[in-house]
Amino acid sequence: MARSFSFWPTLTEPLIRQNPVTLQILGLCSALAVTTSLATALTMSASLTVVLTLAAGIISLIRRHIPTTIRLIVQIVIVASLVIVIDQVLQAYLVEISRALSVYVALITTNCLVLGRTEAYASHNGVVPSMVDAFGNGLGYSLVLTIIGGVRELFGRGELLGRQVLPLAEDGGWFTPLGLMLLAPSAFFLLGLLVWAIRSVLPEQAEAAEHVPPATAEPAE
Amino acid sequence: MIRGLWDRETVASLLVAAHLPLALFWLWYGGAEAVATVLLAALVLAGWHLVFLLARAQPPSLSGIVTALAVAVLVPQDLGAVRLVLGISFGAVMGELVFGGWGRNVVNPATVALSFLGFGFPAAPWPHVMEPVAWAALATGVLGIAAGIMPAGVFLGAALLAGVAGAAGALPAEELLAGGLVLVLLLGDPVTAAGTALGRWLHGGLYGGLLTLFALGWEGGAPVQMAVAAALLASLAAPLLDEMAITLWLARRRRRHGGT
Repeated sequence: MARSFSFWPTLTEPLIRQNPVTLQILGLCSALAVTTSLATALTMSASLTVVLTLAAGIISLIRRHIPTTIRLIVQIVIVASLVIVIDQVLQAYLVEISRALSVYVALITTNCLVLGRTEAYASHNGVVPSMVDAFGNGLGYSLVLTIIGGVRELFGRGELLGRQVLPLAEDGGWFTPLGLMLLAPSAFFLLGLLVWAIRSVLPEQAEAAEHVPPATAEPAE
Repeated sequence: MIRGLWDRETVASLLVAAHLPLALFWLWYGGAEAVATVLLAALVLAGWHLVFLLARAQPPSLSGIVTALAVAVLVPQDLGAVRLVLGISFGAVMGELVFGGWGRNVVNPATVALSFLGFGFPAAPWPHVMEPVAWAALATGVLGIAAGIMPAGVFLGAALLAGVAGAAGALPAEELLAGGLVLVLLLGDPVTAAGTALGRWLHGGLYGGLLTLFALGWEGGAPVQMAVAAALLASLAAPLLDEMAITLWLARRRRRHGGT
């Protein structure tokens, strides 16, 4: 609790080095489901960041009053209340996107990323550090969603945020959309490639090998 | 395979040799366009093998030639060079090279490339299988089994299922030709076929069964498309089938010899 708090590392560590999606592989369900277009990915990112930051603040504020035995229930109640508020706001002002996101905004409640941060950090740290940490993690999640959503929309439809970027072949351009990008497997491929790329640059993130090949190498022939 | 004549590249070169009749017939009927496609595929594969040789010290393999042939024979038509390169790169890298190269992969890179192109560009028409090419595939299969490099059980299992389905009238000739060609080109790969005797029969049987199912119920699917989809699903199931075969074998052993 009395750990020294430095603002900048807490905010920037979760962006790449401790990224909740690519390093801890949390919150994948929504990350893969809502990234068919950049607009839904951005909305989802914003919703999750807001919920996570507010939830972390509230939980940190009352952390000494939450009985340990029921702390998860309390945390989920707080997160769920915030999610309902966000969901209502989206339905009121962004009907189209809210429809495209379907249940995934409501499912922020059970996003392990949210519960992971509130349980692991906010319930042991002060309000400001907790909110900074939560905001950083939200930004890390947003970064991944934005990249995957952007790539999928760009190569799946040739658009970005609904605006035509690559001229389609059927309208006289040269680009033929890659239909696979709009299907669920492509999100897995892209996330896998992203994790691969990050771990190539930062080898300390790579996990230890599960199997070691036998030491006797094949003789060169 | 550490000692003696049989190392990985022996198998790969024998595979290439066994594919010669199929390749010759297909090139004979395909003409210049076929030659260009297979050369492009081989070039792309060679490039990726080189990249992984330099980046991760994975020795390149002659099996790339077989992969290039399989992709070129079965790939949807009118894709153009860019999309072809994209699909083959995806298949080679994600299907084979990230696992450590040929011999460690779970699915055949050609199957991955074809599925990628099929799902990614559903509008492209699938090729028609010419009858002489399918007969040449039979010759390739016989050569492969005789040399001991292709899984006989897979072929026999698939042939059994296809025979039953054909006799029942569930498998039209077109699907049968495409199925046979895909069987030799994609399922004949010794690396990704099941490894146990029973597993191989089941693997072939599953492929034949899936193909029959698709032939009966897939509205608007091209024969080659059905065969490639069946090959993809069957090769994904192959490790499971091996596991089942090993479990059965262990159980039988335990019953026979006792023990805990």
